[in-house]
Amino acid sequence: MPPTPLSPTTLSMTHPDLGSQLINLCSMMLLLTAFAIVAQRRLSACVDLYALQSLFLAVTAALVAWFTDSPHIYIAALLTLVIKTVTIPIILKKVIERVNVKREVEFVVNIPPSLLICGALVILAFSVTEPIARLGFLLTRDSLAIALAIVLIGFFMMIARRKAVSQIVGFLMMENGLFLGATASAYGMPLIVELGVFFDVLVAGLIVGVYAHRLQDTFDSVDTTKLTGLKE
Amino acid sequence: MSLALLILIAAPLVAGLASLRVPTRRAMERLQLASAAVLWAAMAAVAASVGAEGAVSFGSLLRADPLSAFMDAMLGFIGGTALCYAVGYMGEELTRGHLGFLRYRRFFVYFDLFLFAMMLAVNLDNIALMWIAVEASTISAALSVGFDRTKAALEAGWKYIILNFVGIALALFGTVLVYYTAEHALGVSMDALSWTALHRAAGSADGGLNPVVLKMAFVFAMIGYGTKAGVAPMHTWLPDAHAEAPTPTSAMLSGLMLNLGLYAVLRLKGLVDPAVGPAFTGSIMLGMGLLSMAIAAAFMLIQRDYKRLLGYSSVEHVGIVLIGFGVGGPLGLFGGLFHMLNHALAKSAAFYAAGMVLLRHGHKMIERVTGLLRRAPAAGSGLLLAAVALAGLPPFGLFVSELLIAAAAYRHHQGIALLFLGLLALAFATLLAPLTRMTFAEPIHNESVQGKSFHGDAAHDWPSEDARPVTTGPDRLMLSALGINLAAMSVIGLLLPIMASDWLLPVSALLDTKAGLP
Repeated sequence: MPPTPLSPTTLSMTHPDLGSQLINLCSMMLLLTAFAIVAQRRLSACVDLYALQSLFLAVTAALVAWFTDSPHIYIAALLTLVIKTVTIPIILKKVIERVNVKREVEFVVNIPPSLLICGALVILAFSVTEPIARLGFLLTRDSLAIALAIVLIGFFMMIARRKAVSQIVGFLMMENGLFLGATASAYGMPLIVELGVFFDVLVAGLIVGVYAHRLQDTFDSVDTTKLTGLKE
Repeated sequence: MSLALLILIAAPLVAGLASLRVPTRRAMERLQLASAAVLWAAMAAVAASVGAEGAVSFGSLLRADPLSAFMDAMLGFIGGTALCYAVGYMGEELTRGHLGFLRYRRFFVYFDLFLFAMMLAVNLDNIALMWIAVEASTISAALSVGFDRTKAALEAGWKYIILNFVGIALALFGTVLVYYTAEHALGVSMDALSWTALHRAAGSADGGLNPVVLKMAFVFAMIGYGTKAGVAPMHTWLPDAHAEAPTPTSAMLSGLMLNLGLYAVLRLKGLVDPAVGPAFTGSIMLGMGLLSMAIAAAFMLIQRDYKRLLGYSSVEHVGIVLIGFGVGGPLGLFGGLFHMLNHALAKSAAFYAAGMVLLRHGHKMIERVTGLLRRAPAAGSGLLLAAVALAGLPPFGLFVSELLIAAAAYRHHQGIALLFLGLLALAFATLLAPLTRMTFAEPIHNESVQGKSFHGDAAHDWPSEDARPVTTGPDRLMLSALGINLAAMSVIGLLLPIMASDWLLPVSALLDTKAGLP
């Protein structure tokens, strides 16, 4: 079934192939940086890679905006650039400095098995979204699968890392995946929705940062495996 | 244009922002009580006009249909009593010097914003904006849960944040999927996110909403909003947060926030069922509901902290509501909604009473609280009545709703009904046994239980019960909040099942797709 003819949003008539291939390339770069974050030992490098991933996300959004002629997505791209590649990484770096985390990320699952698991998650994401991709509504065939894969990898990272800060990076990565899903497969949500989501994520990031400070003050550590007081 | 709807939503926001600048305790008390009064009046006005006209709206984004009005009434009523209670409770904490004025003020800012976000979420006629408001309520509650400066509160807060943020992110993915299929049916616009338009599209013959996408969306939304509702197996944040949050916040979490999660799930179900058939969502809800009941009933057995015990009891009741929705049909939906309302009233009353016990004794250990009925008659009898209601004994509404759900489940599948009744009986025993001991048992000497290890490191710091002077009698505001909740609960249970049914039938009719499960 060919994409439904919706006037402003179907791929630009001039270079349909070029458009979807560029968007695909960029979403693949997002996935690649997700793997790089999982494979990274140094915490501050994790944050840098997150900033890089957000940069790719902004580029993807700009490409979608260009090829579908939907100007409101440019605003989303700009916000991604300002909030996710600049503001949130600065906040996270401050938290890392302030709580004086050891440079090493501590693992529940070590790097090689982590990468294998993430590979399996990508396959899972592709197979889960396969029936939807087959419908052919999507801007690019793989964008939704890639988005879900990034969400799952972020989820895995929250489970498999001990430090509060790496868990935050996992959460933010999930959020990047969601945003990619919203932009690349649904041509972006209406602007007011995008703004609301950005605001929420920013505040959530701030609050998690505040909590990390307080964890450090109270427990002398941001190692969440030390939070063992409450259990059955 | 309904101004009452706007006032209902704006009142907590205004109160929260004004709280930032309030100079004295006296002014704060006046402000919060005034906002409670405004909430009640606006809630009544909205409920009345929705009853008369079917739906009211303000602008293009705010719209209250019968289901929203039902949530409005619940949020407005219990939000009002919770504000009264919070004024009394936090005032007492302030008097005792447990917190300074700045933190006292900040508590009310968080509390009001939390209420505002929930109120906004149930009245937005837009699935994505609703998600934003739900996320906002998650964030503001995160600040309240970790409010106390103890290790346990911090740990509970962190657990709450991690689980709920992940959950809410998954719910966003579900929302994106709904939008993705809707924009093909409704075009790329705000319309493709409006509940009204979505329901219309879902209801039409071949609506254009893709069933495969909707199924996937429901699974993500169920996990996401289910985390917020405290559905097992995503419930693990719930007992911790309920135990460690300041008591007024615990009451709001249990009475209102869990219901917000259920509301979102119910809306999604109403959207997915026409395209997919009720069996798909029904079986997921039934499975998770039964699991929640089983886990909660078992874990209540080993609780030593009465606020945790009440938290687990909330998991159980959320499970019951889900079973009602999952079985579906007019009976199941009505039962589930009626259960939501009565549970919200009874559980917040139970937390109000538990908070008074906490203020009196200074600890949360079940085994060190005895003879409440004699020593603190007001809190004791309140706790006992709420416990009796929560256990599902006859004079109260929860009995009616449990009976309805059992009947609906029996028509659906006998095995499920039997399992449901068995779990109810187990939960009955595991909830009532410790709570009746707290209220009835002879007071015992502290020596006999000292030296045992209790939850949390704070256990050792508390002075023994008798050494702790009771600074004041129970505060009038706390008592009246408790009394109002108990009165409303009894009235609804005893006198008004018929009036409540007039009120709830349009809601279940709104959601009932054909005939529920066969």
